[in-house]
Amino acid sequence: MTVVKIDEVTKVYEGKVTHRALNQLSFEVEKGEFLAVMGPSGSGKTTLLNLISTIDSLTSGRVLINGINPHSLDKDELPLFRRRQLGFVFQDFNLLQMLTVEENLVLPLTLDGMPIKEMEKRVQELAGRLHLQPFLHKKPNEISGGEAQRTAIGRALIHRPTLILADEPTGNLDSKTSKDVLELLSGLSREEGTTIIMVTHDPIAASYCDRVLFIKDGEFFNEIYGDDRRQTFYQKILNVLSLLGGSVNDLSPTRLP
Amino acid sequence: MTFRQLAFRNVFRNLRSYAAFLLASVFSVMVFFIYSMFIFHPLFEEEGFRVLAVRGMFIAEIVLYIFTLFFLFYSLSAFLQARTKEFGVLMHLGMSKKQLNKLVFFETMILGGLSTAAGIVFGFAFTKFFFMIGREIMQLEQLPLYFSWKPFVLTIGAFASLFIIISIISVSFIRTKRVVDLLVGFWKTEEEAAYSPALSAFGLVLLGVAYFLAATVSDRTVYIMVFIVPPLATIGTYLFFTHSIHTFLQLYKKRRSIYWHKTRLVSLAEAAVKLKDSAQMFFIVTIVSTVAFLTVGTLASFTSYTAEFRQSNPLGLIYVSFEGNTLEQQQVNQLKRELEQQQLAYTLVPLEVKRQTSSASGNDVDIMSLSEFNRLAMALGYEAADLQDGEAMFVPFSQESLRELQKSYAETELLESGVELKIDRTYPQVLFPAHTLNANTIILNNEDFSEIDEPLMGYPQDASDFRYYAFHVPKWTETVSIGENVRFPISEAMVSGNFAGINYYFENPGYEYRWFKSSFALLLFIGLMVAAVFLLAAGSFIYFKLYTGLDRDRRQYQLMVRLGMTERELGKIVNRQLVPLFFLPWALALIHSAFAFISLQVVWDEFAELSILSEMAIVLGGFTLMQILYFFLIRWRYVAHLKAS
Repeated sequence: MTVVKIDEVTKVYEGKVTHRALNQLSFEVEKGEFLAVMGPSGSGKTTLLNLISTIDSLTSGRVLINGINPHSLDKDELPLFRRRQLGFVFQDFNLLQMLTVEENLVLPLTLDGMPIKEMEKRVQELAGRLHLQPFLHKKPNEISGGEAQRTAIGRALIHRPTLILADEPTGNLDSKTSKDVLELLSGLSREEGTTIIMVTHDPIAASYCDRVLFIKDGEFFNEIYGDDRRQTFYQKILNVLSLLGGSVNDLSPTRLP
Repeated sequence: MTFRQLAFRNVFRNLRSYAAFLLASVFSVMVFFIYSMFIFHPLFEEEGFRVLAVRGMFIAEIVLYIFTLFFLFYSLSAFLQARTKEFGVLMHLGMSKKQLNKLVFFETMILGGLSTAAGIVFGFAFTKFFFMIGREIMQLEQLPLYFSWKPFVLTIGAFASLFIIISIISVSFIRTKRVVDLLVGFWKTEEEAAYSPALSAFGLVLLGVAYFLAATVSDRTVYIMVFIVPPLATIGTYLFFTHSIHTFLQLYKKRRSIYWHKTRLVSLAEAAVKLKDSAQMFFIVTIVSTVAFLTVGTLASFTSYTAEFRQSNPLGLIYVSFEGNTLEQQQVNQLKRELEQQQLAYTLVPLEVKRQTSSASGNDVDIMSLSEFNRLAMALGYEAADLQDGEAMFVPFSQESLRELQKSYAETELLESGVELKIDRTYPQVLFPAHTLNANTIILNNEDFSEIDEPLMGYPQDASDFRYYAFHVPKWTETVSIGENVRFPISEAMVSGNFAGINYYFENPGYEYRWFKSSFALLLFIGLMVAAVFLLAAGSFIYFKLYTGLDRDRRQYQLMVRLGMTERELGKIVNRQLVPLFFLPWALALIHSAFAFISLQVVWDEFAELSILSEMAIVLGGFTLMQILYFFLIRWRYVAHLKAS
């Protein structure tokens, strides 16, 4: 079943210099698929994510999520769509500093006026699965980066969205914590059938996915599917990246899994 | 780019963050300058009630100066703290501490120069307008605009000294710890307040006690309470903002059914952070606003005193002629003539007043005859009195004395003439103003009155008697210019203290009424301007707090948009953050002032029974309206900045 359908999407930034960030990009994402989007800096990865997450407008083309075109919704329906269908994970976690871990988790639910009992039940469930139990009542600045990112993932999951959008979720984490977070995400897609689109620079992070989509200068460049051995998938990704010719900085220093 | 250019650009490219601060200091300079223009006005070198204007404005200038010093001190230290990160970058690039100090000094001087210049320009532009108001209030023929170097020099001198003092002090605010710490920035942590339930309760108790004492204050305790209540309330306010509020919020947060409801989760948590962050600021704003309210309220309550004036001064003109006054007939005729010229209807009742010593008290007593007294009472529309032989009646000189005298009873003998009396009544109206007659004044019926034939001890025959000319003028407020040359020697004698050769007394209540009214209006006018400076300063603290938090707020706003908050929900959250910021200190200041005025009412009652309630309602209502307008203005700008990303 197709959850996300990107159809000939084009985004042009008008300004002193007109910039075509995305050019007729098309792809689909199946339910339960964990997709990585890779590309050099300025290739349009973040623009793509912003278009899917509906916080930026399209120049032409169509985005369908679960058969709904969010760009055709009016400004009252759009936030509701976002809060019910989408979950976000960011590079810098973006937890609300004044809320505790638990409160950050329930934030999406409170907006919809869910009963307290149900909210508490879901928090317990997620806390168990994401190992958040010991610091549920701490503030984000009192926990480690990995814990913060797990909290953010919990916040993205708690309302059981159709699609999770992750923007460099491991960008601020050390390799050990990155590994935990990525295993968590891939586990979610494999076992719970969660659909995830992740934008990343890091070939190691991408190697945890089912499929990697490469874009360059806003256009489709290549895509490769993962196999059972992550090691070989990682090598394949590196090969494509070297073809892609991104600057050296885009490749993380080799840190083999 | 030279070093000075850097300082210059730092200021001018950050003007928006300085906006409210500049507004408040420009306004302060402007008010100071306008007062100086009044003080040095050539017309004001004369005597009289203009002295009051000059003195009032001079005191106001001192208050402004001291207040501005504290205002600048607080604002600039907050500015510098907010810029810690920027200083970190500069020191990282190799700026020495000495250079940094120099930079801050330059910047402060630029800000100071800017606000002084702008304040003087605006002040001079508006001087004519304020002179017009001043002329109206002081009932002057004219108050022309003039040009002199004095007000400029005073204003520039005052504010230059102020900014230099502040520049030197503010340099020491920069905490140069390690550069790394500076780079992280000053306001990085977002912990909730460490509050103590004991102190929260203590704060509330202090406030409660202060309110209770203020509400139950009596004539006798009021002077002690003046020294007890304000410190209690101040400490209570401080604890309220630093502890009590947080305890409340914490209690509220514990109840999930309330707390985990829609936008409350975010807005309450955010309110807790903002309240903690701004506890000191809230405290200062509350105290400053309370002082402003009290100043204006007190002055406004003076004006209501004028309503009481007529009650204790029912006569239109009073002329009292003592022994040896050769001008008596001439001056009384002149007064009559002037009243006729101005087409003012009047009734003149001359009263003969005799003086005797009372055996009961040993004091001397002023005595009037019943028939003459009744003529005056009838003219004023009061009831006539009735007395038998040997009976007498007290004449009250104020509402207070009326109440006292109604309780007293005396049997006495007028020693010189040997007339025995029983004084068991009091005339129920005040006819004669307090100081025009002896505090002990009685009426006798005509037979008893004529039996008084001896003068007061130590006086020759008839020399102790005097004549009291009571003019009843229905249009009493229009007598301002009547008898100017009769009044003049008296006011002169009052100033010099030399009454030699003046054997009469003249009082013109219409003139005095005008005098009271204008002086109170003038004081109110002066006070309003100072209060406006106070409130603008309080507003600038709030603006600055919002502005420095803007970056963080904007990031948060963007996140919430992504998480799917609707415009309405975001609007709600913004409102719930801004409303307490603007109206919590305000509300507390209002309550403080309300209780202060309850005590003040007690003090007032001693002088005159008047209610200051309506004046207070107008003043506080006006300020509240202004605050609401300010709130909407700031909210509009704040929301615009939040959305701009």
